[in-house]
Amino acid sequence: MELKDQRHRSRKSVARMEFRRRDYRAEEQGRVLRRSRTDHHPLLPPSPSFHNQVVVEKNGNNDFFDPLRGLNAEDSTSAEEKAANTTTDNNSQVSSKEWTSFKRFLMQKFPVSKMISIASMPDVIIKSSTSFRESSESSHLEEVDDPRRISQEDVKVITGQEYVSRLHELKDEINRAWHAEDRVTALKLTIKVAKLLMDTSVLQFYPTLFVLATDVLDMLGDMVWKRIQQKAEFSEDGTFLCSLPENFKATDICSDAKETCNNWFCKVGSIRELLPRIYLELAIFPCWRFLIDQPLDSLQRLVMMARGVVDPIASAYCRLYMAHCARKLPLSDIAGHLVTCVNDTKILLMRHLSAKEDGHFADKKRLLVGLMEPTIEYIMKCIFENTSQSQRQVDSVLLELGLGRNREDLCGSSPCISFVLHHLLKELPTEVIRSNFVGILHLIECSQDHYFDQCLNYRLLGFRLSESRSKPDIVCSVVDKVIQAVAQYDRLDQYLTVVDAYMDIVLQNQMDNHLKTILEGISKRACHKEIHEDELESLKSILMKLLSHFTDLHDVLALDHFLEILDVMYGNPRSNINMHILSMATRTGYLHDLSTIQLLFEISQSLHDAIDFGSMKDDEYQQPLRLISRFVEMVDYGTEMDRHLTFLVECRGAFGIINELKETLVHSSNCLAIKALKDGRKHLNFVKSCIAFSEVTIPSVLEHVVQFNLYIETAEVALLGGLVSHSDGLVVSAISCLECFDLTDGSRTSIDAGGMLSSIQKLCSLLVMFPGNPDQGITRFPNSILSLIYSKSWMTPRMKIRLFCGIILLLATLSQDKFPYYPYCAEIMGNDMLFFGDASYAHEIAALSECVLQNLISFIEQEPPKAARGTMALEACNCIASSFVVCQDILEVCWKLIETARLCLRADDRYLQSTIKYLNEQLPPPVAV
Amino acid sequence: MSTKIALKFSRSNRIYRPSEPVEGKIVIESSSSISHYGISLSVNGSVNLQQVRGGSAGVIESFYGAVKPITIVNKSIEVKPSGKIGSGTTEVPFTMVLKQNGEKSSERFYETFHGTDVSIQYLFTVDIARGYLYKSLSATMEVIVESDKADLLERPVSPEMAIFYITQDTQRHPLLPEIKSGGFRVTGRISTLCSLLDPISGELTVETSAVPVSSIDIHLLRVESILMGEKIVTETSLIQTTQIADGDVCRNLTLPIYVILPRLLTCPSVFAGPFSIEFKVSIVISFQSELPKLHKKSDPRTPRLWLAVETLPLELVRTR
Repeated sequence: MELKDQRHRSRKSVARMEFRRRDYRAEEQGRVLRRSRTDHHPLLPPSPSFHNQVVVEKNGNNDFFDPLRGLNAEDSTSAEEKAANTTTDNNSQVSSKEWTSFKRFLMQKFPVSKMISIASMPDVIIKSSTSFRESSESSHLEEVDDPRRISQEDVKVITGQEYVSRLHELKDEINRAWHAEDRVTALKLTIKVAKLLMDTSVLQFYPTLFVLATDVLDMLGDMVWKRIQQKAEFSEDGTFLCSLPENFKATDICSDAKETCNNWFCKVGSIRELLPRIYLELAIFPCWRFLIDQPLDSLQRLVMMARGVVDPIASAYCRLYMAHCARKLPLSDIAGHLVTCVNDTKILLMRHLSAKEDGHFADKKRLLVGLMEPTIEYIMKCIFENTSQSQRQVDSVLLELGLGRNREDLCGSSPCISFVLHHLLKELPTEVIRSNFVGILHLIECSQDHYFDQCLNYRLLGFRLSESRSKPDIVCSVVDKVIQAVAQYDRLDQYLTVVDAYMDIVLQNQMDNHLKTILEGISKRACHKEIHEDELESLKSILMKLLSHFTDLHDVLALDHFLEILDVMYGNPRSNINMHILSMATRTGYLHDLSTIQLLFEISQSLHDAIDFGSMKDDEYQQPLRLISRFVEMVDYGTEMDRHLTFLVECRGAFGIINELKETLVHSSNCLAIKALKDGRKHLNFVKSCIAFSEVTIPSVLEHVVQFNLYIETAEVALLGGLVSHSDGLVVSAISCLECFDLTDGSRTSIDAGGMLSSIQKLCSLLVMFPGNPDQGITRFPNSILSLIYSKSWMTPRMKIRLFCGIILLLATLSQDKFPYYPYCAEIMGNDMLFFGDASYAHEIAALSECVLQNLISFIEQEPPKAARGTMALEACNCIASSFVVCQDILEVCWKLIETARLCLRADDRYLQSTIKYLNEQLPPPVAV
Repeated sequence: MSTKIALKFSRSNRIYRPSEPVEGKIVIESSSSISHYGISLSVNGSVNLQQVRGGSAGVIESFYGAVKPITIVNKSIEVKPSGKIGSGTTEVPFTMVLKQNGEKSSERFYETFHGTDVSIQYLFTVDIARGYLYKSLSATMEVIVESDKADLLERPVSPEMAIFYITQDTQRHPLLPEIKSGGFRVTGRISTLCSLLDPISGELTVETSAVPVSSIDIHLLRVESILMGEKIVTETSLIQTTQIADGDVCRNLTLPIYVILPRLLTCPSVFAGPFSIEFKVSIVISFQSELPKLHKKSDPRTPRLWLAVETLPLELVRTR
């Protein structure tokens, strides 16, 4: 009864509503945009003439910003200026920054251990902060001195943290005392801090102690500097005299300021102990500038004075501070004095290291060398900081270091300590390195002490060699010798450390025989042995260099031992290499070679096995998964399509866990099907297998939206293959997949409404080509979509309205005598042919469209009035007006929608105006409205 | 009610030469106004030849009080006649010349020196006399006197250096047997004539030493002599120790000697009739030994078994 009623109503409406007739070809020809050639790529940087145009345009219209346009000329120049300004920044600022980072590096390299044993517990450290507020009346500093050292047996222990915090407290106290005008106390406390540096029994803690103590010293030095500067700039009663220029001369300083400055040097000079005296003078060393213009002599004296400090660690760090303080002065030639520092350290160290002692002391010596190394590193850096330009200066530095510029000198002079050599090598200007390879090699060979790994020097030489861009024959001879030398190394880590540095050179110069030797050497040392973490890293670095050198993966795979070496690797580095290989393989194009595919499949498997889904973060395993998917995508068996499909089946088995991959698998099998179809009808069975593969694979995809898309894609492929019933089934599955989809069962709380909408719209457009089955009702699929709209809560109002429009458009198209498009395969007849002139077909379509139209209008009315409602009303209006012949009823509906839109939108809304214009073109508005 | 009185000199370091006017001001801080019978300023410069020291027995002590101080200058001026000083801070400027041109002085204006037995001081005292009922207000301040430029030597003084060498055989005191038998040789040079403005300079090299060196120090000594009737009593005391090597220094590596002379504790060497002030430097080499730990509070000047010492005279001069 109800059905009859509905049909009756629809009949009635058919009389009133009629689909607009369309001639798609004519429309396409009429609307298509005229195409014209262009010589200019829209994304290229603008040419000058174009640029001017833009500027003019900019003046006219300020709010327009073209995101594709290159940087405005003015902006870029100002940016350059800024950069220039920052580079011309004070040199001292750069060095102070460097110093800060160096200090941080020191602290990190030698972390504070829990307990520190100290030979003599300094009273500053023990005493509570209040107890040494001594009377400041006694101005003679001898009283501070209490040099009696407690005997060696009296070792005490303090926690490192306590020591550090005590030093921080002291710093604060000194600062407070200074600002309370009690400068004598400030100085006394600072001297006490400097005295702490005399105790090197703390060993590991010494660098930290040094950093903290020099912080205090630097602070005092700054305060003294500022005080004297103030004396020079202001008179005694506080009136401003002059402002000292950056490069002031000693003659600019008034005698009062000089007097104060001199006093400070006197006070510091009266410290009994050598080391604190040197430290304190260094702290106020920049103040020499107030007295003399070129305090180089003072620097030289301090360098010589430091020779009196015999403890290797104390003297090395003292010289480090010296280098730091010397850099604060605008002196041109400190390098010579710093070279003396290095030489003195060398003499001291040689004496220490050559002393014969047994086991326990060997460890201590290694620790000693470790502690001293950073100081040499920093001083070397300072030496070569300014000498890089002048060849003569470099020569003199080398000469003074006992390394003349010819071979006789190089080996004839005193043997070099290997870590000193290391840092020299690091800082030497490239040209010097370039012209001295033979000598340097000789030096490295000679200097083999047990406290520093020789291989590190070979390694460094490798890096310097590759940056020097030397002549190939020199490079060859150096590499020859180094490879020979390292052949004697038994340990894998040492071998790897060295060859890693030479990989690039060997590869760039096509030294194939060396490459062979290296790979053989690695495999000999690596196989049948457990690989340690650091070795693994070196291996990774070496293999990475190999991989990035070759463009073609086959060349790498063809190398002897490559796969063996790859096989000894494990863990993260292995995965990294695997990923690199995969990305390299898929970068260049499709993969045809069967053995390569097999190898890559295995690599993918190993990569896949290394992924621990439980513990790894999402973004950590995304990359390997993407690479595996990419690999599967790029495999191409050419005409062996059966083999390809088998491969896909294998992949599904092997990488079943990877959700993303299944999508790729379906795409690939669909592609295969299309390829087979293009080849002709003979592969129909194969196409069916592909579609079956896809159909079986799709349900295991996790996300419903993806599933839906894949179903539609496969349905389209099946339709192209003329497999109507397959296609039909797939669409049914697609829709049922949406029916199953509910917000509650999906893990995601929000759905991609836009994506979903366009997928369903796509289905609507696909349905145009579907031959209707009168047994199941011609409007079976539109009806299913409609029931989705009614039943699913996740559909947003906007989605629903658009889908209604989509169905109206679908129905309007189905009512045409000639469809806009047909399946590629001509054997399937469209509905236009099947039901041409069939009145019941037309009726059914019209009836459904009537029903949809009503729903559409009522849905729009349910929407709360806002801008969205207005836009939707306009969309619906356009859809209706373009689908139906404009008669009185339709016009009423349209004007009603326009009214709705008017209420929600501003009157000058362009969409509203163009819709009204469109309607007016169809018919004049009825007088009633 | 409190009244504060202070002397403030024009130079913050308070260094003046005898012929220069000493300028400054008397600063009086008072919460109420004060009537007075005049403000006077006096200067007293003298050489004191005795000092009482507690503890260790000095030779001169037995003659305590026997030697009268030698007056260099003693005069007084009235800065302000009697009157009234208002409440708040009042500053009264003054000028005074130590050595008036043409004025005959009985003594030379020796430079300020603070020693153990001889002390040369110039004290300025301000006095505000206030009648019988009130305690007079006064304040005393020392100024530091340096020789007049006119009397000075032209700089630079030709630096006089002495070359020294120290071996086990140059030592007049007993040494530890291993030091004596093992032998050592330290050479170098050091200033023997030195301007007060310059540091004592020189250099030192340990050429050989069988026993490791533990420290090398430079001692600055003063030698004060006083004429006691017929006798001259001399005492030598340590002013300052400066370490130049800490530990067993590398052989044949030259170390610099650089000692800044402390102000007040040094002055130009003086040979006056009743007293003299001279200086010496000693180079003290300490060898590694267990013995020093047993003698913690020893006088560093005492020759010990583990020390090698070389003492040289040092003449200090004031230059322009």
